[in-house]
Amino acid sequence: MSAFYTIFNTIMDAGATVMLPIIITIIGLIFGVKLSKAFRSGLTIGIGFAGINLVINMMKADLGPAAQAMVENFGIQLDVLDVGWGAIAAVTWSSPIIAILIFAILATNIIMLALKATDTMDVDIWNYHHMAIVGIMVYYVTKSIPMGILASVIMAVITFKLSDWTAPLVEDFFGIPGVSLPTVSALSSVLIAVPMNWLLDKIPIFRNSKLTVRNAQKYLGFFGEPAMLGLILGCGIGALAKYDVSKIMSLGVSMAAVMILIPKMTSLFMEGLMPISEAAKNFTQKRFKGRKFLIGLDAAVVVGNPDVITTSLIVIPLTIFMAAVLPGNRMLPFADLAVVTFRVAMVVAITRGNLLKNIVMGLVSTGTILYAGTITAPVLTSLAQSVGLDIATDGSMISSFAATSLQLSFLVYEAFITKPVIFVPVLLAVFALIWVCMEKRNKKKAAEAAE
Amino acid sequence: MKRVLVACGNGIATSTVVATKIREACENHGIAVMVSQCKLLEVESKADDFDLLVTTGKFTGGSVSVPVVGAINLLTGINEEATLEEILGYLK
Repeated sequence: MSAFYTIFNTIMDAGATVMLPIIITIIGLIFGVKLSKAFRSGLTIGIGFAGINLVINMMKADLGPAAQAMVENFGIQLDVLDVGWGAIAAVTWSSPIIAILIFAILATNIIMLALKATDTMDVDIWNYHHMAIVGIMVYYVTKSIPMGILASVIMAVITFKLSDWTAPLVEDFFGIPGVSLPTVSALSSVLIAVPMNWLLDKIPIFRNSKLTVRNAQKYLGFFGEPAMLGLILGCGIGALAKYDVSKIMSLGVSMAAVMILIPKMTSLFMEGLMPISEAAKNFTQKRFKGRKFLIGLDAAVVVGNPDVITTSLIVIPLTIFMAAVLPGNRMLPFADLAVVTFRVAMVVAITRGNLLKNIVMGLVSTGTILYAGTITAPVLTSLAQSVGLDIATDGSMISSFAATSLQLSFLVYEAFITKPVIFVPVLLAVFALIWVCMEKRNKKKAAEAAE
Repeated sequence: MKRVLVACGNGIATSTVVATKIREACENHGIAVMVSQCKLLEVESKADDFDLLVTTGKFTGGSVSVPVVGAINLLTGINEEATLEEILGYLK
């Protein structure tokens, strides 16, 4: 027993780059991937982590002091750096309990499919990290594995149901039938968009708005190009830090590099996970042969919509401005500005492309993300350091537009760490109520369609 | 050698899946090919340097001068072969 313990400790001490290949190999073997292929996947993911670590380190070393100088010069306190969802996904996959959470989420999906409680077959293992991180953060705060698992399972149930309910929008508005989008980074905005859409429709200016922006791509297109966005932001922050010209330019180029390099490193994660994801797909599809499903896909398939692109190009610069003026916000939006499209995609579908409503609701969505990101940054930063993300401790913290910055994830996480005895049942009760109402509504709709 | 640009929402997740499948298919058919990935938002500024644009979802934003193939089937696994044939058709 003690030998086992020594081996386990040696691996833990070696850090995430050693843990990851081992964990991923084991997950792969359980799904029936061949050992050599599973190990190669694991090693690729370990390499991805090493790469993300390098880039985040460089970003924090360059951007951290500039952000601190901004506080001193102008009192703009934006010292929570948005390192992007990729870095957070890397932290998620490096958690010691990730393997348990992945199977808990998959089991939740299979059980719900078997009970006909959902139509979404979600084998997009890659996007499990959004549901897993909530459990990991709950586990990190409460030190209780069952609480962590429960939090991820609740995230999964809510995510699958939201996917079911939004599938008609995906078919009608985006024109992709037979598919649902269990990607929390896109679905979470529904929490803002549904009530706000109802509210704004009471106001004629919004309801009847015919606002269109021509040539948004032409004039604002550079906000959609990560390299340009990084360069501009880097130079702007350098100027606000009162750097000299050569240092401003160098910060600009180095931030452009960060914007380009983070996704390159993250794609190694995706490459490594692919064989496992495919195996999970075959595993589940075999078990539910003949049943009609909604196939769960990454929301990446809908963000090419022109309304989504136009809304994002307007929301991105306004979000940067908002970050500077919102009282209490400390998050400096950066790496995840590149994926604002995901945060507004469902908003656009719900308003059916009403641009004025899209911009207002898109900003409320990114605004709440900034606040939730600020509030949960201390725990996230400490968690990232605990798994071996090598970030300087200069007082600044890290966050992102993903993880518990997302509205849904934030609510579930806070319910678990504040007063779980009260808030978890409240959360479940509210969700159950919405579920019942939605079922009634859908049945009524189906009956009307049948007539 | 033909060049293919694969675009998806963030240039990472679904485009990696599609790019890998295109590379594998080309290897099996002995076609030399260079596959790059990017975000859908960048397509207009990049597509002209390529022979084929493959998108993982519906792409209707903006105009490009190269042929475009939608490859959602490579993600869902339904009619996967037909879509791969279509892509290979442009690369032969």
